[in-house]
Amino acid sequence: MLSLLRDLAPLALGALLAWSGAVKLAGRAPERRVAGTALERLANGVERATVALRAVGAAELLVAAALLTAPAVAGPAGAVWSGTAAALLGAAFTGYLVHGRVTAPDSSCGCTARGDEPIGPRAFARAGLVVVGGAASAVAAGPWWETVWRHPVAATALLAGCGAVAAVLFADLDRRLLLALRRLRLRVFGHPLEGAPKVVPVEASVELLERSLAWEAAAPVVRSGLRDHWDEDGWRFLRYTGTHGTDRNARRVSVLFALDVHADLDTASRPAVRVAVLDEETGEPVTDALEDVTARTALPIVT
Amino acid sequence: MSPNRNTPDAPEGRELHRRRFLSAAALGGATIVGASALGGLDADAAFAAPSPSLDPAIAKTSFAEGRVAGINGSMLEVAGSHGEFHRVQLTNATSIWKLHPTTADAVEPGDGLYARGVEMPDGSIAADAVWVNIVNLHCTIRGIGRDRLELAHNNHAVVGRVVKGTTAASYHGSALSSDLSRLRIGQDAQVLGAWRPKDDSIDIARVSVGR
Repeated sequence: MLSLLRDLAPLALGALLAWSGAVKLAGRAPERRVAGTALERLANGVERATVALRAVGAAELLVAAALLTAPAVAGPAGAVWSGTAAALLGAAFTGYLVHGRVTAPDSSCGCTARGDEPIGPRAFARAGLVVVGGAASAVAAGPWWETVWRHPVAATALLAGCGAVAAVLFADLDRRLLLALRRLRLRVFGHPLEGAPKVVPVEASVELLERSLAWEAAAPVVRSGLRDHWDEDGWRFLRYTGTHGTDRNARRVSVLFALDVHADLDTASRPAVRVAVLDEETGEPVTDALEDVTARTALPIVT
Repeated sequence: MSPNRNTPDAPEGRELHRRRFLSAAALGGATIVGASALGGLDADAAFAAPSPSLDPAIAKTSFAEGRVAGINGSMLEVAGSHGEFHRVQLTNATSIWKLHPTTADAVEPGDGLYARGVEMPDGSIAADAVWVNIVNLHCTIRGIGRDRLELAHNNHAVVGRVVKGTTAASYHGSALSSDLSRLRIGQDAQVLGAWRPKDDSIDIARVSVGR
């Protein structure tokens, strides 16, 4: 089993590197891919990082071609050299990841998988896999096609297993599967947040209030955020605090708003809001606190 | 921790009496009908671009942002995110938000804080409004459960807790609603809520999708 895996390593790793090299070399919008990665920092700029990304892609393709064809072109020595080159490439990836992790822990690696994931265990597992695959290829007993020819069923099964591991590590297949499963669960068992009582949340009342003329009239007085709220007899009461008057005559006041407990921005385009301003100390209403907003003329809409 | 700290709907005794008095006063006040183009001074304002103010009082407004390093009576010592230091004085007119309107004893050392107030001659800020642990994240919904949303913010997994009676959702710019059943996995969402330092999750105040 292990020897089979070892002998198939050049094929598996070659295919993987060919795919990842092609993506890097021919992928669209490489600038977007390198932006915010450790590579950008290392290469000192997006343009140089883009060139570096293309170069790495080309190197991967070369190594992939060597892994796949070397035993035929250069015999066992070719297999050793191509395997060593792949292992060195993996070691270089690991070194880059360590450097990136140390210098810019929050940046992503910019490597094969999703661009914006920070450098983590997955990235190291990917690089490690290339090192191990390269080493195995270097010590393979014979060309991979002979192994496939001799054990077609076992080879197919092993390659499928390798493909699954690669899909998880390199293409985030597990996350996509997880999302698909979660979506399926919602479809089968229903939405877990279904059936909540349909009430107008306090935030919606505040939203409505803040876009009302009443708020505009009271705005010069109100200083605090929402202090308190309660519902009573179909009204929702919202209490704020503020100051009325200037420096010496400044009085601390409570500003009370009452609106329909069922009204929100969708149902009430012209909300009716009751407003009262009370002196905090005496509890007496302050009558001249509200700005006159009724006389305000609407700005014409330019069409 | 008092059981009523975050539940302003359950007053007792004197507070109930006070509310009745305030309710009557509010209903006896002026009625103003109509919508305005102006916005609020509310939590959103913490994230809105500063705009020139029409009100001279607002020109004197100071802001403080950081982590609560110490609490000295009603004075909060705040270590700012950029190395600065603030002293924020809470008064009995200060509004304190920690997912709900709450009281000063809900503020704990280590909490994040955003305060708006007036600078005093001694350099402290007399706070008009304080938002504790407020966060506003652009994320992707990765999972939906009975009491939580699994969120991804820059590919970091974040747990957003659904707080019954509080969490509200807005769809495609509609009014906030208590109906959360139209949230879908894979949607981009703007989440405003209160961060919980203990387990690094977020209590969701509102989630907006489709903007």
